[in-house]
Amino acid sequence: MRVSPLTPETFADNARAALADATLTGALRRATDTFAERRAAAIGAVPDWQELRTRAAAIKAHTLARLDAYLEEFTANATKAGATVHWARDAAEACAIVRDLAQARGSKRLVKSKSMATEEIHLNAALAQDGREPVETDLGEWIIQLAGETPSHIIVPAIHKTKEQIGALFVDKLGIPPSSDPQLLAAEARTRLRAHFAAADLGISGVNFGVAETGTILVLENEGNARMTTTLPAVHVAVMGIEKVIPRFGDLETFLRLLPRSGTGQHLTTYQSMLTGPDPMGQGPRELHIVLLDNGRSRIVADELMRQTLACIRCGACLNACPVYQSIGGHAYGSVYPGPIGAILTPQLQGLHSAGTLPFASSLCGACKDVCPVKIDIPSLLLELRRRAVAGEQVPAAPSRGAAPTTSKPARRKPLEALGWRVWSWVTRSPARFRLATAFARLGQKLPFAMRLFGPMRAWQSSREAPKLAARPFRDRWRGDAR
Amino acid sequence: MTRSVALFATCLGDQLWPEVVEATVAVLERAGCRVTFDPAQTCCAQPAFNSGYHDEAKAVARAFVEVFERADAVVAPSGSCTAMVHRYPELFRDEPDWRARAEAVAHKAFELSAFLVRELGVVDLGARLSARVAWHDACHALRELGVHDEPRRLLRAVAGLELVELRTGESCCGFGGTFAVKFPELSTAMLDHKLSGLDDRVDVLSAVDSSCLMQMRGRLQRQGSRVRAMHLAEILASR
Amino acid sequence: MNARAAILGAVRDGLRGASVPPLPPPVEPPAPLAVAERIARFTAVQQKLGGVVEAVADRRAACARVGLLLAQKGAAVVAASDAPLLAGLGDYVPADVALLPPDAPRERLLQADIGVTGAQWGIAETGTLVLASADERHRLASLLPALHVVVLPVRALLGTLGEAFAALQRDGAPAARTITFVSGPSRTADIELTLVVGVHGPKALHVLLVRDDG
Repeated sequence: MRVSPLTPETFADNARAALADATLTGALRRATDTFAERRAAAIGAVPDWQELRTRAAAIKAHTLARLDAYLEEFTANATKAGATVHWARDAAEACAIVRDLAQARGSKRLVKSKSMATEEIHLNAALAQDGREPVETDLGEWIIQLAGETPSHIIVPAIHKTKEQIGALFVDKLGIPPSSDPQLLAAEARTRLRAHFAAADLGISGVNFGVAETGTILVLENEGNARMTTTLPAVHVAVMGIEKVIPRFGDLETFLRLLPRSGTGQHLTTYQSMLTGPDPMGQGPRELHIVLLDNGRSRIVADELMRQTLACIRCGACLNACPVYQSIGGHAYGSVYPGPIGAILTPQLQGLHSAGTLPFASSLCGACKDVCPVKIDIPSLLLELRRRAVAGEQVPAAPSRGAAPTTSKPARRKPLEALGWRVWSWVTRSPARFRLATAFARLGQKLPFAMRLFGPMRAWQSSREAPKLAARPFRDRWRGDAR
Repeated sequence: MTRSVALFATCLGDQLWPEVVEATVAVLERAGCRVTFDPAQTCCAQPAFNSGYHDEAKAVARAFVEVFERADAVVAPSGSCTAMVHRYPELFRDEPDWRARAEAVAHKAFELSAFLVRELGVVDLGARLSARVAWHDACHALRELGVHDEPRRLLRAVAGLELVELRTGESCCGFGGTFAVKFPELSTAMLDHKLSGLDDRVDVLSAVDSSCLMQMRGRLQRQGSRVRAMHLAEILASR
Repeated sequence: MNARAAILGAVRDGLRGASVPPLPPPVEPPAPLAVAERIARFTAVQQKLGGVVEAVADRRAACARVGLLLAQKGAAVVAASDAPLLAGLGDYVPADVALLPPDAPRERLLQADIGVTGAQWGIAETGTLVLASADERHRLASLLPALHVVVLPVRALLGTLGEAFAALQRDGAPAARTITFVSGPSRTADIELTLVVGVHGPKALHVLLVRDDG
């Protein structure tokens, strides 16, 4: 499936298109089922799973409530260890920092390991303008880059593609003989990317956790590409959302127990790199640059209700558990962060004006909340965002100096819908009016033609038989029983 | 000891499926309760709340609190409506007086199966139904109220009934209130996935929520399926 | 205003008056497991991850075993770290094998078939090797070749992740600038979730547990 840049605004259309793609929906179902099973098996073997979640949620809640202090501590310690810490208010600033670093060092050959923050700021596109587009080195990300697409899953970016589609892509882009064997395709990737690693002069990674107490950053992965990216080039640039900081080195243990199990069902991912400053004596890069990215986060921090959104550790469990995501995948959300976490995070990063549909794109089943390793109450946050969308409020509520200006616009008003709910409320709060209105509905029901003029009824009946109002409601039958 | 129960019929029960509400009354009476019904009741306000219209929801929620705050226990044949009542304190978070009144009502609002098993300690209601029944965990009952074992225990006590689990487990039926009509294709895709978990020999699909049943029944009927959708209360009232 | 001041100012303003929930106290490391239990668990988990674990008596035996492995695998180029345990390795390397030290040119290291390193700790619970760069230059030898052979003293084998995090801190600072956890060979499941072992990093991991490293 060739994906043009979708936006959250067209979610309903995006979803419809995804549902019409049988290859996509089949691949998604298999993948999300597999992940859900693996996760369940992995956490089943951890007797204190709930205590771990509670602990992680408490660490995050504490850290976010004093984020300024922890960021300063992190910066001081990272600097002491020899890293250079940069601050970026928004995507443009972050991209400019990386571009300038590459320019100043004459770095031409850039490699990158998987990172959501760099996707969020569209770093590749920014660097491409300068002729320095990084080569993605995570297998899934590389596939996506070759295809000119965007990731559809936080953990498995190419989850939407079958091995046949990937085989055809490799034939087309790499000129290799046709194959749909994942072993052969991965071996091809190893060979091709090895050449890029050998020549790379600047490596870009994300950060899973930044430790305030030591200035350490942790990068977690399975393939070894992040180790290559953070070891081989002379310069390592790590892009880190400001919410990634945690207080103590020892806290990593808690999060390492939670994250891989929630994401892929592994006890640990194959590799964790804990980097404290540059490490040329230890065969590492000469320079380590950490770019601290705000891009709307400081505004979310200020919003007491929504703050917990920033506790997310990007494990992807909520995506795999979500019946909406399972049905349509990540592209339909039209944003870098798909699924339940995307439905709460994207409107806060982009504003309800452009992403106001996403909080409504949920049946509020709550499966996401059950699996979240840091106990984010996603359904309640969806409900709060719906309220703000309807009330025409801004999200996050408080404007701030670190803010990007685009989010200041409230959601578009829907006057007709609002009128409908006002009438509904006026009717429903009074038993007399409720009785009268339902009596009218009974009459209307006798004219099926009239019912079909009513949009929601038409939508319902597109796939389902409509229920019928009972000839006599319970309230009348109860009186009829003369009790 | 006879428990006095104020019945909340729910708007769907009252208007669309009065037989489910009557079955609820019959089951509660069989369990030894004295059931009252206040016709001043209408709806729990969930449709407006879930759509983001909190002021409109509050007006309806206040009416609900006024109707039920003097009751000993409020019982509804719905997990979703009960869970909504449990959310009232959050809805009134900025109005201390109403918040307190809402909390009092929330504390005594129960979903039917949870009330029977947890509050009354009743499992066997002497029901009889010869059928293979697949159970659907309604999301709000399951995840907000923790209702999982209660309906299964009640169903296992029904003579002649064979209880089976859906292969699609605890997944959502795709209803989600206005979600079902805002995103009808998506809602239907979720629904079809859910129903794909039914085995060929299932006679009845049951749940504690009329809204999920409305969604699933609507599809089963459209597809000409022989599977009947029945509310838990109807099964428990069968003789 | 510079970005740092702007962001910190925004966060500070936004959090003014916010209640701060307490930070949970550090986790107490669990009681250490018996040595036999540590070895058994480490071996079982490594095997599940696709690694091989073998016990050897002492450092001489370890070097001899590595020499034999190099011959068996038909290695041409071997990258070795500067682990003290491997000091005598040269005596056991077949004559036709090029043995590269850590400071060999990058292009040569990239050609190595096998990497031989030590590890500073092992973690039984997770089948993990902990590589800390302060005591050994093993970042490249452990990463670039298709086979990674690790010699690990039994006394460095810890029981749990908790013990490891306790051991990894020295006076509030991490034990090394680069600490790498390695749990099994490199893997991916990015194509239809089909497991492929050995994508960028080593395709195989061979651990020699050294009973007496004195």
